[in-house]
Formats: sequence, C-alpha cells, structure tokens
Amino acid sequence: MAKWGMVFDLRRCIGCNACAVACKQENSLPNGVFFTKTLSEEVGEYPHATRTYIPTICNHCEDAPCERVCPTGATWTRADGIVMVDRDKCIGCGSCIVACPYDQRTRLEPEMLQQGLFGNGRLTPFEEQGLTRFTVGTVVKCTFCHERVDAGQEPACVATCPTEARIFGDLDDAQSRVRQLIQEHRARQPLADKNTNPRVFYID
Amino acid sequence: MQNPTQPVQNSMKPGKWLNSSCKMCIHSCNTRIHITDDGIVNKVEGNPTSPSNNGRLCPKGNAAILRHYDPARFRTPMRRTNPEKGPGVDPKWEAIGWDEALDIVGRELKRTMDEDRRKLLPAINNFQKLFLWAWPAAFGNANYFSSVGNFCGGGYHPMNGFVHSAFAAANDVNYCNYWINNGGGDGFSSHLHTAAQANHVAKARVERNMRVVVVEPRLSIGAAKANEWVPIRPATDRQFALGLCHVLVSEKLYDAKFLVKDTNAPYLVGPDGYFVRNADGKIYVWDAADGCAKLWDDLDIKELALEGSFEVEGKTCQPAFQKFKDILAECTPEQMEAVTTVPAATTRRIAREFAKAAQIGSFIEIEGRLLPLRPAAYNYYRGAQGHKYSAMANQAFKLVNFLVGAIDTPGGHVGATLDDQMQEIRGGVGQIVAGDNGMMKTAPHQLHPEVPFSYPPNETHLMGYFPIGVDPGHLTQHTLANAEKFGLDYTPDTMLLCHSNPLWNISGSREKWYEMMRAMRFIVAIDILPNESNEWADIILPAHDLMESWNMTMIEPPHHEGMCLRQPATPPLYDTKSEEEIFYEISERLGILETWNTILNFVNGFHQKPELLLEPNRKYTDRDIAERKGLLWNGKGLDWYVEHGHAVTPRRPEKWYRPWDGMRLHFYIEDIVRARDELRAKMEAADVPIRHEWEWGDYQPLPTAVLDPVHLEPAGFDLYAITFKDIQINFGESIGNPWINDIVFKDPVHTAVLLNAATAKAKGLGDGDIVRIESPYGSIVGRVALSEGVHPDAVCVSNALSRVATQNTGVRHGGGNFNELLPANLKHTDACSGQPETVAKVKLTKLAAMPPGIAAGNSVFGQRRTH
Repeated sequence: MAKWGMVFDLRRCIGCNACAVACKQENSLPNGVFFTKTLSEEVGEYPHATRTYIPTICNHCEDAPCERVCPTGATWTRADGIVMVDRDKCIGCGSCIVACPYDQRTRLEPEMLQQGLFGNGRLTPFEEQGLTRFTVGTVVKCTFCHERVDAGQEPACVATCPTEARIFGDLDDAQSRVRQLIQEHRARQPLADKNTNPRVFYID
Repeated sequence: MQNPTQPVQNSMKPGKWLNSSCKMCIHSCNTRIHITDDGIVNKVEGNPTSPSNNGRLCPKGNAAILRHYDPARFRTPMRRTNPEKGPGVDPKWEAIGWDEALDIVGRELKRTMDEDRRKLLPAINNFQKLFLWAWPAAFGNANYFSSVGNFCGGGYHPMNGFVHSAFAAANDVNYCNYWINNGGGDGFSSHLHTAAQANHVAKARVERNMRVVVVEPRLSIGAAKANEWVPIRPATDRQFALGLCHVLVSEKLYDAKFLVKDTNAPYLVGPDGYFVRNADGKIYVWDAADGCAKLWDDLDIKELALEGSFEVEGKTCQPAFQKFKDILAECTPEQMEAVTTVPAATTRRIAREFAKAAQIGSFIEIEGRLLPLRPAAYNYYRGAQGHKYSAMANQAFKLVNFLVGAIDTPGGHVGATLDDQMQEIRGGVGQIVAGDNGMMKTAPHQLHPEVPFSYPPNETHLMGYFPIGVDPGHLTQHTLANAEKFGLDYTPDTMLLCHSNPLWNISGSREKWYEMMRAMRFIVAIDILPNESNEWADIILPAHDLMESWNMTMIEPPHHEGMCLRQPATPPLYDTKSEEEIFYEISERLGILETWNTILNFVNGFHQKPELLLEPNRKYTDRDIAERKGLLWNGKGLDWYVEHGHAVTPRRPEKWYRPWDGMRLHFYIEDIVRARDELRAKMEAADVPIRHEWEWGDYQPLPTAVLDPVHLEPAGFDLYAITFKDIQINFGESIGNPWINDIVFKDPVHTAVLLNAATAKAKGLGDGDIVRIESPYGSIVGRVALSEGVHPDAVCVSNALSRVATQNTGVRHGGGNFNELLPANLKHTDACSGQPETVAKVKLTKLAAMPPGIAAGNSVFGQRRTH
C-alpha cells in the first residue's frame, strides 16, 4: 500500500494560485473556502527585497491532531495515509479546526452553500451538481483528491500546476520522485516542531 | 461513509471528456473539458497531450467554467429602452428576437454606409478569431476604436516585424542560460501562452540553472523568482539597455562576425540617414584591408569595416555600427544611472555576465544544421516598451541581443509568428522574403495591410499616418477634439463593438470618451458579458461563449506551432449565436456578403488551397471556418481535430532558428527613415496642416538616449504611476469571475496602490491611507499599501483596480481607471509606431476618507464580504 505525500518545490512556485482554482473547480468549493492556497509575503528591504510564495494544503499528518481530537471518529486516516472526514459522522464541533496547526480546516456555514459563487443567492448548474457533496455544519478539507488518486491520477492541483511545483507520489517507494526530492534536497516539513509528521514536504 | 459509487469530485463523475482550447486570455492553451451525463460542464483541465502547456493551465484557464455559467451573460438579443446613456446608467434592456435585432442593426448600419462609410467606429477584438478584425474592410472603413496593440506593443509588433519578420518574440527557453526580463511577465505571469511558458521557464531555471535578471520598477512575480531584481525608474528602460550596449561595445564584448556577416551593421550610412548607394542602388561597404569602398556583394571584400569614417560618392559616411557607437558614447552606465537610477556598476556587471553567458563563437548542431549558440537573451514587453519613444525603446532592447549575436539563434531572442496561415494580410508573417541589397525584407505590418494615406484623414485615429505602426486607437479622442486642426471632415456616429471594451482599455479622459459615446447615433455590441463599453449599446447581440462555439487558432505560442481546436462542450445555454453567424447576417443585410467572403478567404489564407475557398454568396458557420483552418494547416478534417484536440508540435527548427539564413538583418533600420520622408512628402503634397506639429523626431534608424516627454511634466508631479497585471488577471476579462476574485482580492498587491515604504514615510503616508493620484491629465483614488518591492519613484496600480461601474455586478470596481491618468494626444504618442505613453507623472494627495461613491457598493474598497 502506497503512502501518499506531496513535495512543494519553492523554487518553481510562482504564486499563481492555479492550484487553488483547480481545486475549487474539482471540489466545488464555495467562495472563501480553500483546500489549498498559496501564501505570499514580501521579505527584505528595498532594493534587496523579494517575495516568497508558499503553497499550503492539508498535510495529511501521520500523527494528525485533528484525528486525535475528533470526538466522533469522523476524521480518519485511510491505509494510504490520506486523512479523511466522514460528513455523516462530523458534528461540526470544530475541535479539529482548533487542533490543526496549519489552519487547513473549514466549517461549512449555511450562507456558504446558499449564497452561490456569484453571490446572488442562486446556484449555477455547476454548483447544483457539485454542492450536494457538502453538509452544512460539517468540516471540510483537502483529501489529496482521493477519488482521482484511487483512479491512478494526480490531485487536481498537482495536475494543473504550470511550473510543476507540486509533486505527488508514494513516500514508501524509495524510487518515487517525491522520495528522491526529499532526500536530495533535505526537505523540510511544515512546523516540524509540532510533531505531527506531515506527509507534505518543502524543498528550495 | 459516502456511497463509493457516487463520486464527489467533479472530474470523476460519470460523463465524457472533450478536447478543446482555452480562451480565458488571447492565447490558446490546449484543454480537455469534462461534461457530466446531465450535460453540465464541471471540469476544465490542460490537455496532457499538448507539448505546449503540458496538461497545465493558469488560474484563469482553471476558471473558465464560471465564465460559461456567469448569470450576467447576455441571454437574448436586447434593445435599449432608456434613451439616457452614461457610465453605470441602466440601459433598461428589452429582450427582442434575432430577426428584429439583426434587422435594426442592418438598417442602422446601412444608413451609415449610405451616408459615409467612414462614420462607423469599429472595435473588434477577439484575438482568437482575428479574421473578424477584417470585417470593417468589407464595410469600407479602416477606423479602429480600441487600444489593442498599443497596450501590449504598439512599437513591439512592428519592431519584431523589422527584425524577425514576426509578430512577437521570445527568449529561446530551450537553450537560454541567462535571461534578462525587462518590463514583461514572459515566462512567469503573462504573455505568450502563460501556463506553457511558465512551465518551460521553471524547468530551465530549476533543472538547468538558467539565471534570471528582472529589470522593473516593481517586484513582480518574475522579479520575485529571479536571481536578481534590478529596480528601475519607470520609463527609463531604453536608457538601461543603451547602457548595456555601451559596455558591450566599449569593452569589445560583441559578436563582430555576426554583425559583419548577418546584419547591415557594416553598410555605410550617409549624412541623410540613408545608406550610400551607387547609381544602381547598390549599397557601399568599406573594405578595411584594401582601404576602399566596395559594393556590399563584391566577392573581393577582404575585411568589412564596422568602424571608421569615410568618403564615398562624395559623401561622408560611416558604417551603421559606427553610427551606433557614436550614440553610445553618450550612454555610459554613469550617464544612464542619472536617468534610470540603476547603479553604473550593476549595469557593467550585467553586461559582462550577459556577454560571457552568450558564449560568442560557440555553435550547436540541431537536426544536422550547425547554428550559432548564444544562450543569453534580453526579453521585454509592455512595461519596457510602452513609452512615447517606443520604436527606439524596442530597437534598443533588440540591439542588446544583436550585439552578442543572439537573434533567432538557439538560446537567443527569437521571433514568434502569430498565425502562420495568415500570410498575406499580415505582410508576410512567418514568411521570410528577400529584400533590398541582401537584407531581409522588413514586415512591420503585423495586423493588417498598410492603410493608405489620406487627407482629409479617412481614419479618426489617423492610421494612414502610421505607415509602420499599430493602430493608435486612443488618438480618436485627440482628433475629434481638434477636428478642424486635423481636417477631419466627418464625425463618427455609429459604433460596432465586438468582444471589446475600449472604454476600459483605452487611454485618455473618460469624460471625453463618454461625450463621444453620447454623440453616437447607434451602437451595436456583440458580446458575452456586460462591460464598461457595451452598456452604452443600443442593441446587444449575444454571442456563444468558449464552451459553445467552434474555432481553430494559433496565437503566438513561442516554442510551439499548430492549430488548436475549440469545440462546443454544450449546446448554447441561451439564445446566442456565434460571432461568425452574426457577421454573416449583418453582411447579408448590408449587401456585402460577397466582399466579406472574399476578405475571409484572403485573411485566412484559404486561397492557398482553392478547395477551401468560401463561395461568394453563402453564409458559413463557425464550424465551417474552423474546419477549413484545420484543413489548411495539416490537411486534417474536424474529426481528426476532435479526436486529437490540436496539431501542436514544437516549432520546426528550420523556421524557428535563422529562417533568414543568407540574408542580412536590420541592425540599422533605414526603412524608418524612408517611412518618415515618404509620409512627410505626402503631407507636404496634400498640405496637411498637422505636419508642422507632427513628431518627426520619433523616426530614428537607431535609438538614442533622449528622455521620453513624460519625464518633462511640471515639477509638482513628482512620482511615476505605472499599472501592472499578474497571472491571475493576465489580459482582460478576469475580474467578475468569482474564483479569480477569490484569489485576487485576498492579495494586497491587487487591493491597494503600492508605494515604496521610505517614499511613503517621507510624504507622511502610511498603510491604509487614502490618496488622490493626480496626473496632468486626470485623477483616480486609491488606498496605499507600503512595500519594499517598489522603486522609490513609482506608484503601482494593479489592473484589478481599474474597473469602473458597470452593469456586471460581479465586477468589483476600484478607485477609477488607471488609463484616465494617461494623455491621449500626439505629443505622448510615438509617431513612428503609434504607441502611447503608459506611464504617468503624478502627485499624491492624502484624503480624509474614501469618497463615498467609491466606498459604497461593489467596490474593491467597500465592506463587501468575500463570501
């Protein structure tokens, strides 16, 4: 069984957020909800300033705090390491939102599903066919596009990334590109001091 | 647990995939579209079979579905019932049938046609259906009301035609190791199939360690990813390039063999700016070995001189290279630093690094052909070239590449054709034709054939006076305001808008444009969504969108070529028609069907295969035209394209690299001098009064360091306002799309006016302060954000802030249109190329609060929640 993980190559990322929009269309996300997004920050002083672009996503932690605190077992980890939320078990208590050190979880509020992408209280046919996957009051997050992965495809954000800054693969396979990149570049995990053991790595 | 048989992810739902191409910007990345069994478009992805975009899409391409399902779309033909017209004034549309709408349009345009065909102002801007741009020619008119071209490259496109005989140009990412980007987002955030270029450039950067140096007033995406960001004072890019040239020449870091063998640099230039010719018109060169002049094609030439001053045919003359060297004497890095603020030491270092990286003298074998390898190139675009002396600016950037031999060669700066099939209409795009005296024939006309000179001027934008430029649409404001001075003997009263938003994209005073719009007797708009311009229309003719129509196109894919298919993913959602059908219907009503078909055959190149010719009196569909364009490209019918999606392949090396082998390139552009003198002679003969004010100094065969007039505005205007786009809003049509809004309006770069932190402090301004930004020509309002990524003299206004009130409630407007700050007059327009200045000198005034009209409602600065 593979253990899925992702590497972000910060040298390549141009902060375009094609990933975020691809995710939105793949997963029918309401406005303001992101399963992945790229943060940007200006660093340094003129004229030596630059800007960093940091993609963020659910890290599918091996020791996931969100799963530990979930009182109903709604958050669970698949054998391949993908951390899931079962909307039928989620009671929307928000413990996981507090517990996640990465701010990657969102509780679906009624207006998110009712207001519509165009903010006029009406849903487009695209939303009508997509929003049924969501339940108001439950918590949602990235699933590494588990259905695509199960079908042998890459997550939508990875597939679309113009600069190939997102690399997806099997962390247990020593020959996989993700493993090679992690080893060659001394990859870092986000907030490693939290001891969550993320399955997402950054190289630069 | 959810039922595993019911996928929740859109691309995994039961349905089908169709091959198509993107149209969220002007380019055409290859896509595949997923349609559910219920007929809903629910996913658009890059087509993995495309070697161009490699299955990738930019954020805009990813947001196409919401264009399709935008509730603001025009759903039926409509007639205005509110006689009052104005910005933000509700037209009170009334739905009408197609027959009635087309009959009204036919009747009104016929009236214009009968009165004076020149009275139509057309603005037809669909870049993926360039053949539609030719429709006014069928009407009998060469007016053009828009600034497409001026705001990408009024000087850029003609200069590419002069140097490469191509529409665009790009650094050859296949081999380049040292990439200078000046005022352009190529490879990072805009232009030339952005997703594709970002892909190739990222690979070159990361996998081949290609060094990137970005020269810009603002820390753009490219600058942020570059090895080095060189901040520069706005509108001084040409002087920076000349500083580089100075170092390359003075330190003898140039490719003399290339200049001698492959360019006209050794041709002798006389005091009148023309090459010195013998009685047969043959040009002289100087043989330094024999110490005498010889004709350029003399087989006995031993050593062509690049330098020196000689007497030939009784004239004092110098090689073109010497002419440039003389100009460069006044362009030391120290002298240029005073203008650009780029430290002289930085200029010297970059010039030396660039020359070293260029590996002058090296060769590479590609497909059995030995080619010079020059893996260093200077690329540039709108920000660098959008200035008064645009032709000179463009040539200065090209000359950096010329000096190291990096023109049209592996690793260098290479011409990219727009659409190789449209051979003749574009003055031979993609066609390399031998010209005069061993030189390649220049092809500065890349968008349409030359418009004949006329006086009184037939065109309100004076296109007949721009024999080597791109349509200066903004000049219509200037000529209408000064009709007598220009001898304009008619006033346009009819407008045809198609996929165009001139009131957004054109420079000059909005109020004056509004006056012109109010004076129109009749306006018809063919479009998809409401915008600043079509809210003035009398009739709306709603068009199919990119999910509902057929097309076949190839738009400037620098490293690739081949037709890209667009096919309907769904039947039309509403009562719309294709643009092709609409123009056929109008043409039939005007009695110009035969002319239109003749023009379509010509501009699409169908005459190259007679079996593809459109018959004179038939009407064709978008599918018919697309099918013919596909057949013309590779002989494959639509079935083949539907299966494959595209015919995209890497550019053929024989066309991409040195397609002009054996001809000389134009280091020195004598054609500019000739164009000046021919125009002057025509103006003299016709006694055109404006000739005395015409900017004759703009026509230079070599660039100089003269300051653009924007630097000479009154002293109180102490800062330079620039505008910019990033990849999320690359080209137009972005704001209003909820997904684009969702990523753009979270970014401080796009929600405030960026000011250098030290500059702001010196002016007593802080983060969040509201300011009026005032130029000598107009003013806008903005909210300040302090940044360390901005040149101290610059005020940076995102294009996301440039929208003003429209009927499209999805569009969040900003503090006014940036283009309001820009002059629309001759003084700030390059007489050589038609390019208007795109930088404005401004002063900032702190306001107590955001003006209520801007703070309220649907503004970027309002209190609206993002969800």
